[in-house]
Amino acid sequence: MIVEKRGFRARSLKLWLPLGFFMIFNLFPFYWMAITSLKPNSELYSRKIMPLIVYHPTLEHFVNLLSETNFLLWTYNTMLVAVVSTAISLIFGVMLAYPLARMQFPGAALISFAVAATYLVPQPLLFIPLADIINRLGLGDTLTSVILTYPTLLVPFCAWLLMGYFKSVPHELEDAARIDGATRLQTMFRIFLPLCVPGFISAGIFAFTLAQNEFLYALIFLTKTDVRTVPVGAIAELVRGDVFYWGQLMAAALLGSIPVAIIYSFFVEHYVAGLTSGGVKA
Amino acid sequence: MASAHTQALPRPTLRRRPAFSLRRWTEREGVFSWLMVIPPALFLMALVGYPFVYGIWLSLLDRPVAKPGVFIGLDNFITALHDPVFWRVAQNTFVYTFAATALKMAGGLALALVMNQEFRFKNLIRAVMLLPFIVPTVLSTIAWMWILDPSFSVINWFLVHWGITKPGPSWLGNPGWAMFSLIMVNTWRGLPFYAITLLAGLQTISPELYEAATIDGASTFARFRYVTVPLLKPVIFIVTMFSVIFTFSDFQLVYVLTRGGPANATHLFATYAFDVAMSGGQFGLGASIALSMLPPLALLIAGMAWYMRSEKT
Amino acid sequence: MASIIRATSRRDVLKIAGVGGAGALVGARSGRAATKNLSFMHESSFIQTYDDFFKKTLVPEYAKATGITVDYQLISVGSLQTRMATAAETGNGPDMTLAFFNWPFLFDEKLADVSDIADEIGKKNGGWYDSAKEAVIVNGKWKAIPFGNVGQIMNWRSDWFEEAGIKEFPDTWDAFLEAGTKLKKAGHPFGLELGHGFGDNHGWLYPLLWSFGGREVEPDGKTIVIDSDETARAVDYCRKLFHDAILEDCLGWTDVNNNKAWMSEQISCTNNAESILWFAKKQFPDIAEVTQQSLNPQGPKGRFHILAPWSHAIYNFSPNQKESKDFLVWLMDPKQVERWYAAADSYYAPYLHAYDDAPLWHVEKRNLPYRDSLKTSHLPGWPAPVSRQSSESVAKYVVVDMFAKACTGRSTKEVIAEAKAQLQQIYKQA
Repeated sequence: MIVEKRGFRARSLKLWLPLGFFMIFNLFPFYWMAITSLKPNSELYSRKIMPLIVYHPTLEHFVNLLSETNFLLWTYNTMLVAVVSTAISLIFGVMLAYPLARMQFPGAALISFAVAATYLVPQPLLFIPLADIINRLGLGDTLTSVILTYPTLLVPFCAWLLMGYFKSVPHELEDAARIDGATRLQTMFRIFLPLCVPGFISAGIFAFTLAQNEFLYALIFLTKTDVRTVPVGAIAELVRGDVFYWGQLMAAALLGSIPVAIIYSFFVEHYVAGLTSGGVKA
Repeated sequence: MASAHTQALPRPTLRRRPAFSLRRWTEREGVFSWLMVIPPALFLMALVGYPFVYGIWLSLLDRPVAKPGVFIGLDNFITALHDPVFWRVAQNTFVYTFAATALKMAGGLALALVMNQEFRFKNLIRAVMLLPFIVPTVLSTIAWMWILDPSFSVINWFLVHWGITKPGPSWLGNPGWAMFSLIMVNTWRGLPFYAITLLAGLQTISPELYEAATIDGASTFARFRYVTVPLLKPVIFIVTMFSVIFTFSDFQLVYVLTRGGPANATHLFATYAFDVAMSGGQFGLGASIALSMLPPLALLIAGMAWYMRSEKT
Repeated sequence: MASIIRATSRRDVLKIAGVGGAGALVGARSGRAATKNLSFMHESSFIQTYDDFFKKTLVPEYAKATGITVDYQLISVGSLQTRMATAAETGNGPDMTLAFFNWPFLFDEKLADVSDIADEIGKKNGGWYDSAKEAVIVNGKWKAIPFGNVGQIMNWRSDWFEEAGIKEFPDTWDAFLEAGTKLKKAGHPFGLELGHGFGDNHGWLYPLLWSFGGREVEPDGKTIVIDSDETARAVDYCRKLFHDAILEDCLGWTDVNNNKAWMSEQISCTNNAESILWFAKKQFPDIAEVTQQSLNPQGPKGRFHILAPWSHAIYNFSPNQKESKDFLVWLMDPKQVERWYAAADSYYAPYLHAYDDAPLWHVEKRNLPYRDSLKTSHLPGWPAPVSRQSSESVAKYVVVDMFAKACTGRSTKEVIAEAKAQLQQIYKQA
């Protein structure tokens, strides 16, 4: 009995107390978004009533968001852009990481230096020349423009995360396949890459998060309302002059993050596993 | 690892070479590697390399927006270096980067240690904890804008309600508090990424090491200090590097919350460069300011890498 | 009117036949060949009915009259300049764009000369206000058609002022300070932005500087004269006003905050555009009831306001410049534009004297000061002509920060010296 009690106390101290603190710190803004999106304007602007409670909840902001703006279309655009640009980044990431991690070739040092250097290039420096390229390709106001430019931010990170993972995979299986006469490409596709799925998941999740979050390029390349992504669309239509449509903005933030959160809850275990064998040993 | 790899490789080329075969050629390690590397390298060269060189060129011009430029050498950099705001911005950026990174590291490690225990709904809680990292920054920042707004701040509502302060602090109005608030919001956003990555690292540490340490009589703290921390170092290095890069060049958060105010107290390199180039229409000067963030960032990263390497040996 | 329309459609046919290749370059925009498209970039208006009116009424009307569809591209608030710059830099973008402040000057080389239609429109409508010309005439050429002014004046709570024994809005800055001191003591401070917003800071700080006789540079656009006794007096005044009458948070405000503080009945006076009254009327009628608007107070050297022009420009790389001009002429015809102005109440004060007594001003009498402010409005940097240096000074918040620093307790001498150093650096090429 006493032991159990002490165990409980120790456990609260070590687990529940800090966990509770972090839950509040991490999630309070979401609670805030949720109640803000449910409050009628009269409550939103009242400084007298207790702010953590909604007295007269209303779905008005959600209804307006879905009926007056193209929110669902923006969500679709965001997902499409994020998925495709993540896929491109992973493919390019593999193409860079596989040789760098598994082979020796002249110029490897140069390539890995160049990839590392691209992390550091400040984004605000790039967007004007990028806009020029996009326009010359005739891609202004198309989702392709951001699908093409996001990987510039994502490829270096993907390559890096994957390199870490690739280095940790033992060589024996590959060597055996090579001795059996498989080509390098076959070895890579049939033997090696299937071993690296956790690595792809962690790099993919990371890239996906950055892609669906991006603001600057989306702002510059996408002006028409039907090609916008959630961050740019919401800001463009729900911030009018010096007045913010707070309720709808918060509704957009919530609705926008829920699908991603669900995807994450499925993958989080793999994400951890992917980093475990990869990043750690890099 | 590399040495084991070369030993294990069979060397078919030692045999007498038949006439040229494309297949054999592409099977050569160097050729295969380059064939793989070239497409992504070209992609990056076109969409990062070219704009970057263009940016460097811009920084050497007196180049108002939509007007032809005049080559002026390093004048823009000299101008920037004589600009008191530039130094203020540099100082802000360093304070912001260091404070936010340190907080994220400490908080992230703590959260990772907490989440590394067994408890109910573990996966759900882990996923939920990641939310701040997932939600589009622009939108979550707008929520913070409301939370930090002095007249509506829930924080202040409680501070005043419980009689702790009369008017609550002006979170974004007072220069010191404004920087503090930005650091907190950045920490809030980045901490989950730290935590989840460090958690991954923690799970690679084999329990036997702890058991051995316990048998040797190590205290909880000693186990943390001598087992956990050294083994986590590589992963700490990686997240810290990511975080330093992203924090140093942060744009969205400041752009939405304060636009660099009050009186430049929260202007960072990225926002200042953007303001000078876009609102001021001075592309050359803006490019030079944006470019100035590169050397310190590179030094920072190189320093960290060097530190890691020297620790390893 | 009819002749213009007919001419347009004929030219269209020729154009489509002749520039098939150019059409391909425009890519995404070209659309079907039978109906010509024009694109018109605008920032999301604060007043939604205004954007709706354009999309739902004016676009179909123009399509019906000419067969030309106008694509109204809405840009998020605060992003228009970035979009304009990107278009100007890459030579690819919409045919026409909205421009704020002195942007016709900034983008001068990429904008078409519209002097001909500006004259035509001016003549038909009683002539342009002088202040309108300040921002759109670059080197003697009109680079944009002025549309309207989003003026900034004082918004105040008549009920609280009355409680404090003040019947009329203070006419001088001294009386303003006195009133503010009383009201802050009564728990109703003033809320005047001193942070890095877009407009509500410049909206009262430049007029304050000017009305004390201070200025950044001489009319020659070269000589820096910020370091003057007049500036010092304005700075001292601002510090005192901040301590005695203003809410501390104002230092960190951007343009959103005063609206929010107003609707939550936290402040008794602010400097804003008409949006504050408009929004209150929609959502908080009780507050709207006691919201009054007045011209800025005057100082020893007069009364001033900030000029915040909206104008429409045509990019000179557009293949449809003639069509765009025809469209702007059609748009600025009273038959069209008067209804568009009206759709926004009087949020956009017309720069044409023909509207001085137009019905739109009589819908809401409290908005009349916006019209009256046009006579005393100037762009930041005045009395120097508009220049890239004056834009850079605005972008770097030189004047705003000078006042803000003084409010945080720095000495007047120091803050003026710093502003002077910044201006010297900015104007050194001039």
